[in-house]
Amino acid sequence: MNVWRALIAAIVLSAAAWPQPAALPRTPHGDPNLEGIWTSASVVPLERPAELNGQEFYTPAEAAENAKRVLGISSWERLGAQAREHYNMSQYGLDLSQVKVASTLRTSLIVGPEGRVPPFTAEARQRLAERAARNRGHQFDGPENRPLQEQCLMYSTEGPPMLPSAYNSNLQIVQDARHVAIVQEMIHSTRVIPTDNSPHLAPEIRQWAGDSRGRWEGDTLVVDTTNFTDRTAFRGSTEHLHLIERFTRVDADTILYEFTAEDPHTWTRPWTAQITLARIEGPIFEFACHEGNLGIANTLSGARAAEKAAAEAARKESK
Amino acid sequence: MHARAFALLIAAAMARAQPGYPPPRDAAGKPDLSGIWQVMNTADWNLEGHAASAGNLPQLGAIGAIPPGESVVEGGTIPYLAEAAARRKQNFANRWTADPEIKCYLPGVPRATYLPYPFQIVQSQKTILFSYEYAGAARIVNMDSNKQAPIDSWMGWSNGHWEGDTLVIDVTGLNDKTWFDRAGNFHSAALRVTERYPPRGAGMLNYEATIDDPQTFSRPWKIRMILYRHEEENARLLEFKCVEFVEELLYGHLRKKTGGKP
Repeated sequence: MNVWRALIAAIVLSAAAWPQPAALPRTPHGDPNLEGIWTSASVVPLERPAELNGQEFYTPAEAAENAKRVLGISSWERLGAQAREHYNMSQYGLDLSQVKVASTLRTSLIVGPEGRVPPFTAEARQRLAERAARNRGHQFDGPENRPLQEQCLMYSTEGPPMLPSAYNSNLQIVQDARHVAIVQEMIHSTRVIPTDNSPHLAPEIRQWAGDSRGRWEGDTLVVDTTNFTDRTAFRGSTEHLHLIERFTRVDADTILYEFTAEDPHTWTRPWTAQITLARIEGPIFEFACHEGNLGIANTLSGARAAEKAAAEAARKESK
Repeated sequence: MHARAFALLIAAAMARAQPGYPPPRDAAGKPDLSGIWQVMNTADWNLEGHAASAGNLPQLGAIGAIPPGESVVEGGTIPYLAEAAARRKQNFANRWTADPEIKCYLPGVPRATYLPYPFQIVQSQKTILFSYEYAGAARIVNMDSNKQAPIDSWMGWSNGHWEGDTLVIDVTGLNDKTWFDRAGNFHSAALRVTERYPPRGAGMLNYEATIDDPQTFSRPWKIRMILYRHEEENARLLEFKCVEFVEELLYGHLRKKTGGKP
C-alpha cells in the first residue's frame, strides 16, 4: 500500500480540504447554492475491482488512463450479449462517452481500505437465500416477480441513495428558503427535502423512497432518510435501512455527494460511498417510464408463449 | 332584482384578489408561492357542471359514487368543434377503461393542478418547481430562459414569467395522450395552455388556465378555480407511486395461470 499516494489523494479529495474558491455560490437566504443540473456519471464502479485490492486511489496518471479505457468502450461493447435487443445508445448523450464525467482519483465509489459492501449478517444471508429460493422458477410469473426498474417503480439513480447508472444519470436541484428538491430524470421522481430538521413521518408510513429530512451543517446539506419499505431492498436491505447523505458544493462545477448506509439487519457494519456530481447544461427530459413500458408486457407474454410452446412440444413427444 | 345584481357584483369582486392583500414575498420581491397546494372541487371528475351519479362498481356503494360539482369552465361549457364533440361523447362512454388516470399515466397540464392530490411549489429565482403527489409528476418552470420545447411530452414544457404579482406560465410541447378529466374531455397535440397564479388572500391563490387548441375547440376557453395551501404543521407530500396499483389491470392477463386448466 502506497501510504504517501493515499495521503495525497485523501487531502485532495476530502471536502474540507478541497481548494475553496473565494466565494461559493449562495442562495439569497445564505445557504450554499446547490442549484443546477448535474450528472453522477462515473468511470469507477461502486465496488473496487479485485485487482486493485487495498488501493483506494489512483495516481492522476492512472486515473486518466482508467477514464480513457472506460470511455473508450462503446455502448454496444458495454452491453455485450444484450446489445442486439437494446435500443440505440449512440444518440442523446446516452453513451457514457458523450457525457461529462467528474474526475476522481478513487478506484471505487465505496470508501475505505476494502472498497466493497461489507459482508451480510447471518440473518440477511438466510433472508436473501429464502427470497431467492421462493422466486426461483417464478421470475416470469407476473409483473411483481420482475425487478423494480422493469416495473418502472424505482431506478438505482433515484434511490436514495442515488447511484450512477450506465446512462441518464441526470438530476436537477431546486432550492427555496426551507427545501432542497432533487428532480431525477430516470425514471422520473422528485424528492422535496425539508431543511428545517423536522421529524420523520410516523413509523407506520413506509415509502419506496423513504422519508428524507435535511439540515445544514456548516456548508454541507445533511439528509437523513428512514421509513423505507421492506420491498425497496437496496442491495438486500430491510425496512430498517437508515441512510445519511451529505452534499457539499466544492466548486462551481462540482458537488461532492456522500452517503452512508446502515442496516444492522443486513450488513455487519455501516458503509460509505463518495460520488462526484458534475454540472451539465441539461435540460432534464421527461422520462415517462411506465407510460411507455412495452418491455414488461412483452417479457410476460414472451414467457407465456415459451410455456405454451414447451407444453405443445411435450404433448407431441408423448404421442 | 337590484339585490341580485348587487350580489353578482359582490361575487365578481370576490373572484378577484382581496384588495390590498399583501402576499408574502421571496428574496427577489416576488410573491412567495412556495408551499403545498390543493383544490377543493370536483373538476377532475368533470370540468363541466355535473350532478351526483353512480360510479362503475356497485360494490363500492357511496364510496364509488361521483360527487356533484358546478362547472369551472368560463361560460359553463367547453366549445368543442363538431367532430371533437363526437369524440368527447365516445370518450365519456369509454371512460372507465380509457381514462389515462386509471392507468396511472402522467396527468398533463392543467389536469395535474386539480387532481384530488396535493402538489408542492418550490420557488427559486431561475426555476420554479411544481412537484405533484400523483405519480411523482413534476414540472420544471424555466423563469430565466424561454427555451423551445425539445420534444412533446406528457407534462409539456413550461416557460414562466411574472406579470406584476402574477406568475404566468406558458405550457407547450404537450402530447395528445392526456385527458382533462375523468369525463373524457380531451385535446390534441396542438394544445397550448397559459396558466396564471395570482395571489388571492392568505393561503390562497387564484388559478386560471386558458386552453388554446384550434384542432379541437372553436375558440380559446378558460377554467378558473382556487388553490388552498395546506397549513397543517409538518404538511408534506407523501409518496403515491400508483404503478403497483395498476399492474393487475394492465398486465393481469399476462400472468402465469397457476392451478386450473389453461
